[in-house]
Amino acid sequence: MNRTINMRTRALFMSPAATIVVAILLPPLLYVFFTSVHGEALSLASFGEVLTSALFKQALSTTLVVAGWSSLLSLVLGFVVALHLARQPARRRAVLMMLVLLPFWTSVLVKCYAFAIILGREGIINNMLSWILGSKIQLPLIFNRVGLLVGMTNYLIPLVVLPVLASLLAIDPAIYRAASIMGAKPARIFWTVTVPLSLPGVFAGLLSIFVMSLGAFVIPALLGGPKDLMLSNLIDFYNGQVLDWSKASAISVVVLAMAFIFAAPLALWRQRKA
Amino acid sequence: MNRLNSTVSRRTFLAGTAGAVAAPMMLSGSPVAAASNSVVVLSTGGSFTDSLTRHVFDPFTKGTGITVTIVPAPLDLAKIKAMQITGNVTWDIWNGQGTSAASGSKQGFWEEQDHSLLDLQDLVVQPTKDVTWFESYASGIAWDPAKYGPGKHPSTFAEFFDVKKFPGRRVLHPFADGNMEMALLADGVAPKDIYPLDVDRAFKVLNRIKSSVVWARQTPQLISLLQSGEADFSYAYPNRVKATNEPGGGKPLAFSFEQNLLWSDPLTILKGAPNKDNAMRLIAYWLRPEVQANLENDLGLIPGSKKALTTMSPEAKKWVPPNSNNPNNLVINMEYWAENLETLGARMKEWLLI
Repeated sequence: MNRTINMRTRALFMSPAATIVVAILLPPLLYVFFTSVHGEALSLASFGEVLTSALFKQALSTTLVVAGWSSLLSLVLGFVVALHLARQPARRRAVLMMLVLLPFWTSVLVKCYAFAIILGREGIINNMLSWILGSKIQLPLIFNRVGLLVGMTNYLIPLVVLPVLASLLAIDPAIYRAASIMGAKPARIFWTVTVPLSLPGVFAGLLSIFVMSLGAFVIPALLGGPKDLMLSNLIDFYNGQVLDWSKASAISVVVLAMAFIFAAPLALWRQRKA
Repeated sequence: MNRLNSTVSRRTFLAGTAGAVAAPMMLSGSPVAAASNSVVVLSTGGSFTDSLTRHVFDPFTKGTGITVTIVPAPLDLAKIKAMQITGNVTWDIWNGQGTSAASGSKQGFWEEQDHSLLDLQDLVVQPTKDVTWFESYASGIAWDPAKYGPGKHPSTFAEFFDVKKFPGRRVLHPFADGNMEMALLADGVAPKDIYPLDVDRAFKVLNRIKSSVVWARQTPQLISLLQSGEADFSYAYPNRVKATNEPGGGKPLAFSFEQNLLWSDPLTILKGAPNKDNAMRLIAYWLRPEVQANLENDLGLIPGSKKALTTMSPEAKKWVPPNSNNPNNLVINMEYWAENLETLGARMKEWLLI
């Protein structure tokens, strides 16, 4: 009985958002599915051609490697930031949160151009190193994998900090007290209390950053090198340059499927925990 | 809007925002004045659009009362295709790249043009039924003359590809069109025998310099990478090199007219354009000799009008290829690229990844 009411209330609250998603997102999405099988005629030819092309395979592996590494780096760095924020008094935390949120609200394009100034051959880092070491240093930090990962990580960190921080703040301080009264050292408390209890936030963050990085487009285009072609850039190539929307749609469907494949287990896991 | 005047590369976000998923959203259309005393022109903005406004659009509006609306838009044909599919055409004149114009022509994106409004005798490149060419430009080799004196830098494509004789880092665009032709010319193929391209041979020649190439992500880098000393020789455009020789242009660079690729910039009218007649009048005005001379004095490219070529300022003419019959030069075949850009573009991307 209680459960039914609960479901009904839930459905009621979700219906406005669901209506918008279904009305605005679904038709174009269906159109993309339709285009992927409808080129010259109705067929799976585009999928066949795309999936077997060397270009696609290369872009796919680049996408998975870049998404994996940037998620991992963002998770580690974001966790540390969240941990620090969780230990601050509320007022101070609010101020520090701005440092996380400001870059989060800044356009990714603006951030990419800023990184060009910071990471370039004549950029801030290289000039600083040259000045310190007294000789000309020109580390290749941009237009390659390094620049791409720096840009991606910078972009994704806030998306880890927010859910992890929420999880950390939800931990009852009494548990920490109990652990330390029982004689646990800080390291032990961290691994047996903090980490397990932050897992819901960690997985929520991981899920969103990994799925988002699968679709990265601007950062690889502006900060990556010619070898850092990701799936979205390949979609852009077929969509804009050769106007083969059938192939562009086929790759889009593949990216969408990948997002589902990676998201589903995590989502299921979270539901079971809940 | 064409590649050499663009400040953004073809790969940047604009193209992406008009991505595959955006197509059905075009159904809703965008508000554009429907009145017949206006005309809508696509341009990517920047100094190129400023020059067009000053020398073409403003005087045209003054003379005819027809207002010119400039719509900022990406270089590619994705949105044009979406407009054609949905039948919701809101733009009139497109000026993108020559290869795209030819490709659009093949796909039926353009309206036929009224040649009776044009002085065909005066045009440098003859228009086709749906494309008029309003200017041409050369591309070739640029270098820093303070670093490389006479005889110390490559002047022809064969020398540009000779890493032993002229060691140093080269800047190239990561595109198939242009690079393929340059490689074949460098390997000794005569300009008249270039098309159809011997693609395998072209890639073999490109392999010779691959390890010394810096790939330009954006057109301005063809110049900036030379000026900052990151590279030694660049594939560039004379109007860009001209700008470095003007006040505020930074380190002045030099450009070789010994061997060039020659391209042309198109004007097309979208099929089903809302202000078709005004569009044709604007194109005719655009090609008038006096308009052409003013425009190209400013842009530093080759005017599409023969008369304008003689009345241009000597200052601007310095950056126009001095010998229009130079046997080393190659006129890029737009029709060839309209047919082959997809396969060769994909192959170029693959080649870059290996």
